[in-house]
Amino acid sequence: MLEIGSLVDGKYKILNKVGQGGMSVVYLAMNEKANKQWAVKEVRKDGVKDFEVVKQGLVAEIDILKKLSHPNLPSIVDVIDTEDAFIIIMDYIQGNSLNKALAEYGAQPQENVISWAKQLCDVLGYLHTRTPAIIYRDMKPANVMLKPDGNVTLIDFGTAREFKEKNLADTTCLGTVGYAAPEQFGGMGQTDARTDIYCLGATLYHLVTGMNPCEPPYEIKPIREINPTLSSGLERIILKCTQRDPNDRYQSAAELMYALEHYEEIDDLYRKKQKKKLNAFITSAVLTVALGVTSAWGYVSAENKKSENYDDIIKTAITTEEYYEAILTDSTRTEAYLGLNDLLSSDYVLTKEEGQQLLKLQAGLEEKNNAGFTDNVNVLSLLKAENPEGYNEVCFEIGWDFLSYYDTEIDRDRYENAAKWFEQMKDSDSENGAIASIFYDISECTTKLNQLRGGKVIQTQELDEQRESLWNMIESLQSKADGYELDYKIQVWIEIDKLIYNNVGDFLEVVTPDVLITMLNTIKSNVENIEGSNPDIIKLADELEISVAETINKVETAKE
Amino acid sequence: MNFIISANTDIGLTKDTNQDSLSVKVINTSQGRMAFAILCDGMGGLAKGEVASASVIKAFDNWICNELPKLCQGPIEDSIIRKQWEKIVTEQNEIIKTYGAKQGVKLGTTVVAMLLTQNRYYILNVGDSRAYELTTEIKQITQDQTFVAREVSLGNMTEEEAMKDSRRSVLLQCVGASDSVYPDFFFGDVQGNAVYMLCCDGFRHEIMPEEIYEKLQPNVLMDDYQMSQNSIYLIELNKQRKERDNISVALIRTF
Repeated sequence: MLEIGSLVDGKYKILNKVGQGGMSVVYLAMNEKANKQWAVKEVRKDGVKDFEVVKQGLVAEIDILKKLSHPNLPSIVDVIDTEDAFIIIMDYIQGNSLNKALAEYGAQPQENVISWAKQLCDVLGYLHTRTPAIIYRDMKPANVMLKPDGNVTLIDFGTAREFKEKNLADTTCLGTVGYAAPEQFGGMGQTDARTDIYCLGATLYHLVTGMNPCEPPYEIKPIREINPTLSSGLERIILKCTQRDPNDRYQSAAELMYALEHYEEIDDLYRKKQKKKLNAFITSAVLTVALGVTSAWGYVSAENKKSENYDDIIKTAITTEEYYEAILTDSTRTEAYLGLNDLLSSDYVLTKEEGQQLLKLQAGLEEKNNAGFTDNVNVLSLLKAENPEGYNEVCFEIGWDFLSYYDTEIDRDRYENAAKWFEQMKDSDSENGAIASIFYDISECTTKLNQLRGGKVIQTQELDEQRESLWNMIESLQSKADGYELDYKIQVWIEIDKLIYNNVGDFLEVVTPDVLITMLNTIKSNVENIEGSNPDIIKLADELEISVAETINKVETAKE
Repeated sequence: MNFIISANTDIGLTKDTNQDSLSVKVINTSQGRMAFAILCDGMGGLAKGEVASASVIKAFDNWICNELPKLCQGPIEDSIIRKQWEKIVTEQNEIIKTYGAKQGVKLGTTVVAMLLTQNRYYILNVGDSRAYELTTEIKQITQDQTFVAREVSLGNMTEEEAMKDSRRSVLLQCVGASDSVYPDFFFGDVQGNAVYMLCCDGFRHEIMPEEIYEKLQPNVLMDDYQMSQNSIYLIELNKQRKERDNISVALIRTF
């Protein structure tokens, strides 16, 4: 025992006794020269059985502790080995231990506890990362000093590990062994960093609830069962710290530190907020889908309705106006266009008025909008955008009707009108496209020929080029026509016949009359061979036969 | 109802001190004969366990002398006994704690106390000493307040594991080392021609309940000499089997 007022090592004057442990006494001492207070811990050698056995370990451990430097640890500045005691000089920590605070005020405010927990976790992390790792093993409120500035310091650190081994041969009481982790009772694996994590968890539990886990019911309950106002995040942290199996705890102080720094995020309130956000998102997502489905359903229904209307109109349509209405109802379907075309050309004559009615399609149809104003709807461009193949078919059929039935004396007029439609679809890959393409070219060619003929200066060479190309077209037209349906075929032959009849002079400039006659004869024999019951076609064939004969006659005449 | 009593203790093989304390007595009261037995198993680092155990024994002795006669003036109710004994234990806890803090040591004691009246028994228990009732069979009345017993009751451990577990001597609480003490109470009707036994953990670690029953059943215990002899026999049996702790046993035979 050191005497009050005595000098230790010639510098430290013992002022008074401030604490007592099983094997050690702590005194407050003053270094009078430096005017600084120190704690002097006297470890009595007679308090330890077999002191010589533990001495080496104690000396080695104190050497390690001397090297430690951490703001939450008292530093050991000197160790004096006297005859009957080790005297350890260390920082004097002002303040009270946390178990005094617990005894006096009960449970501590959560914010304080978390702030202390971070500091203690920092210390443990520091200790665990020394080489070799230092395991504190005795974390409890009694060993944590609360300094006047609100920070904490881990004390009772100078004792060697040997002193801390729990002697379990004798009967002991939980209260005396602190918050020993299950593995500290031995037989359950080595103590390691996770042991300290357990003890820290138990310490936090005691601090924040005021319930000593070493008292009935001897268990660490979820802290909110004791005080529902506590954070569920902290609850989770404490429960995880104090798992029986070390593998279920935080595996390092760093891990625990992270959790402590983010405890609010694993808090129920925070989660609730996040859940609310998620719910809001899910709600809007569900609404989006639901409304999307509704609108899709509405759209489909509207389309169905539209198509029902469309079908109704088509079924009963007998006037141009009704077909226009159908076209406006659904511009993307071809039936109304084709129906209109058939209606107008049903008598094999497309009058000028009827032609105008078809041309109106290209100009756009008028429709009353919701506001009562008239909108011009470009139905063909709608059809082209939505249904390109239908568009091609419609253009071809209308073009063909212009070509075949347009009621005009001037063939060029017919061609030009037909070309307006064929132009739209002549590039399509279909056979119709090829035919249309030829008629389009013929139209161009005849127009050109006409211009050249009407020119003031006769450009013989260019005329001949046009004549030649026109003839080539006729030849290719004839060869193409072979693969066609009979009515188209006849129509093509009629055209060839008309072209030759009208341009005999021109053709004879570039081909021999025999060539012309041969072609006309081929057509003639083909026409003669036509068999069928359709009176319209028979009529056309008969007319064509006569017409071809006239043309041959004309060629013969011209030849001479 | 009459009582024959005995008390035996042994320091055991390895300890320097016997930290167990026990006391058995028959009391004549205005409500007839009563028997009181108490057994404390002290513990403490620096051979101070006996201080704790003796302190508790004396406190209960004091109660027998001063408080029990007052109680006997009226009907004895379970709740009164419970309240008064709880008070004794709580006071003792504080006294021993303060003493330990002064001395710089941790010390404490288990307590099992039993009062037998003409028709009823009252038992208080803190720690791992036990009370048994031997009639046509042996029955343990108290429950151990130990870490392993709790693990067993929670289903974390089997009885067999608990017997071998290194933590079998870890108490959940004891008088003098816990912040607060919460004693268990057991009340029941006294059987005639039965043996009531209090023992410390040292007495029962190495020998089986069947062995205890064989030697201490009512039929073989006809007088206090026989009771004492048979107790000593079992204590020696324990020592043969290398029990290291102090060994104590107190008996009350009713007839």
